[in-house]
Amino acid sequence: MDKLTALLPAIPLSSAILIALLAGRPQRSLARLSVAFSVITLLLAAASLVLYLSERDAQWISSGLPWGSLYHDPLSSIMSLAVAGISLVVHVYSVRYMAEERGYVRFFVLLDLMTATILLMVAAGDLITLLVAWHLVGVLLYFLLGHDLQRPTAQRYAFWTFFTYRLGDLPLALAAVLLYQAFGTVSLPALFEHLAAAPDTQTIFGLPLAATVGLLVALAAFARSAQFPLHTWLPYTMEGPTPVSALMHAGIVNAGGFIITRFAPVFVYAGEVLHLVFAVGLVTAILGSVLMLTQNDIKKSLGYSTMGQMGFMFVECGVGAFSLAIYHLIAHGLFKGTLFLGAGGVIGNARNHDGVPQDDVYTFVVERKPVASRLPWVVAAAITVVVPFVILGLSHWLVGGDFVGQQGGIILLFFGWVTGAQLLFATYRLHAESPWRLMGMIILSLTIVVAGYTLIEHAFSQFLFPDQNLSERIYAAASIPWATFDVLVAILTAAIVLGWLATYYAAARGGTRDGDVSPLKLAFYSLISRELYVADVYARLTESVLALSKRLNVWTRWV
Amino acid sequence: MTLLLIAGLFLPLFPLSIVLNVAVTRLRHPVARFVLLLLWPQLGVMALQAAGQDVPSAFVPWALLSAGFYALRLLTVRDLGLWASFLATSALALTWALANGGASITELRFFAFWFSLPAALLALLTGPLSRRFGAAYAGLPGGLAGMLPRLSGVLVLAALAGVATPPFPTFFAMLGLLQRLGWSAALGTVFIWLIWGWAAIRLVQGFVVGPARQGSIDDIGRPSTLAYASLLVAFVAAGLYLTGGSL
Repeated sequence: MDKLTALLPAIPLSSAILIALLAGRPQRSLARLSVAFSVITLLLAAASLVLYLSERDAQWISSGLPWGSLYHDPLSSIMSLAVAGISLVVHVYSVRYMAEERGYVRFFVLLDLMTATILLMVAAGDLITLLVAWHLVGVLLYFLLGHDLQRPTAQRYAFWTFFTYRLGDLPLALAAVLLYQAFGTVSLPALFEHLAAAPDTQTIFGLPLAATVGLLVALAAFARSAQFPLHTWLPYTMEGPTPVSALMHAGIVNAGGFIITRFAPVFVYAGEVLHLVFAVGLVTAILGSVLMLTQNDIKKSLGYSTMGQMGFMFVECGVGAFSLAIYHLIAHGLFKGTLFLGAGGVIGNARNHDGVPQDDVYTFVVERKPVASRLPWVVAAAITVVVPFVILGLSHWLVGGDFVGQQGGIILLFFGWVTGAQLLFATYRLHAESPWRLMGMIILSLTIVVAGYTLIEHAFSQFLFPDQNLSERIYAAASIPWATFDVLVAILTAAIVLGWLATYYAAARGGTRDGDVSPLKLAFYSLISRELYVADVYARLTESVLALSKRLNVWTRWV
Repeated sequence: MTLLLIAGLFLPLFPLSIVLNVAVTRLRHPVARFVLLLLWPQLGVMALQAAGQDVPSAFVPWALLSAGFYALRLLTVRDLGLWASFLATSALALTWALANGGASITELRFFAFWFSLPAALLALLTGPLSRRFGAAYAGLPGGLAGMLPRLSGVLVLAALAGVATPPFPTFFAMLGLLQRLGWSAALGTVFIWLIWGWAAIRLVQGFVVGPARQGSIDDIGRPSTLAYASLLVAFVAAGLYLTGGSL
């Protein structure tokens, strides 16, 4: 098992070196060589996972040096498989997609180096290896996003990404230093054992070590996973090549969820940090989703959608559902990664054929004549409130038993309820020949999706956290006093139900689309269309620092 | 005190750092700059060893201010030779913070060497740039990646090595330094580290990216590339062997 684990990052690294050395050969054959290495990497990752499943024994593999160790556990094995899988898809896609770009071979070298680095990151068994990989991901991503060396905007946004990643690298370095100073080892399993034995260990200024390290790890995760207000770089990564946008879903932008889960034993003692993670994730999810609605560029829209999804991933971490966050990370990575590749195809087609696509989908969406038939609004509202609640509650109760007794579980069900209700509301607004039949089909689909999702997530949770005790302790750490929780849930439920009723009522009366737009709405629209002015604030700060630098150089020009 | 003054000149702290920077600016020959940047800090460590005194804690804020001052200036310096000199000045100032943390003379020697070598290499690269474009000034000969890929590659790697990017030994040296610092000094150091990265990207973007010039300009030869690359590979290997895992 140890050789297999070590081979995983070594294979794409060898590919990168080999391709760089053979750079003079025909480009397509080098790209195919890279794809072949990616296939081997994926097979090895699959074998590694199978081996883990057969042995069920996490292993810490030392290199014999103070660092360079690897950790083969459920998290690293499942993440390796996801990374290798997405990387292979991106490799195959890039063979033709990048064929007309300059620096074709350089692109594949960087792609392989990135794959090797992410695989090293997810399998890192000690702080130093983790830091090396964590830093390198940012550096390599900079070169991948700025692949087109002649386009200034690509360079500008590649730099934004690099700088934000650097901001996230540094808290992790400080966390590593604090852990090493406290326990004198860099081995992750050993550190977690020490922390479990002495959870009250204090660090600088008498602060609790676990909470301080947890906060630093969370800060690193915020920057890496585009959490508000460190999100501005993500939507602009569209300036990079489309395959890179897809690759980013393989453990780059979503590494925040990974790093928090990797440090799960620390977060058992850092409940207040989990609350912060929840709040930041919630704000990010809402803002990402809102900003997505106002974009007219498909890749930027997908970028904001990813930001929203990253927010949900942090919400899951914040409520203690770490395994769900990783499941979300992988599922979102696979689907959104391929969606980005599809977007690249759409953009390519749109550039080549600027006419409106007259196909069946277009006819269905744009030209379809509505049939004036809907469900009664009171019935639809009642279905919206009750049905998702019943489906979610029953499916989780059947597989999870006491899952709904956890605060985190209830919050997640709450989100599921709201999302399911949104779907039913969208169905209500559609005009159909047979609205009852349509609603029935939607409810059936929702039931299948929710039940399937719950079953898979439950199995995944048991795989990722075989130690149920740890999982329960994380949930407990993330919880708040029950009385406060109950009051908050009651207020939110009332607000949401009343909101839905008002929405249904307004929709039934034909909506309020006509009439003057209030100044408040216009101001809100300006705010959203300028993406909350966050990037403008950063630009002003950057200009100030550069102006200061210039001023210093002028004042001290004699040195 | 005299020895500390001498050490301060060779492991330069502002305003004594003026001497090193003026010397680098005055020396026109890249090889002379290379040698100066490599030897100068070693003389400083030797002077510190000869002094045999503990470094007073007051030197830590002074060192951090000097390092931060030059890091900030790096952001808008466009001359490669001066950039290399400022980077070396910023990084070498941190040697004092390491010395205050109780590091041995060998550790100080290596710390100074790890940071002075990439800076010296960058100073050396001013030679081929000046010969081709009349100056080694970022923004003047932009788009080098399209014209001179080998020179660009070496330039980018040397700049990354200089700003403590893994797997170069400077990265491990910075981790080792953080471990020996107090909390406020460590915070200051990571901010300096952040600005280095920013400055390096601005430098790289000034030289390497952008539309390539018309007309043919010869790249550096394969032997030169091999020599630079071998030096960088040896740098990484030595770093991994000697400092890998510094915490």
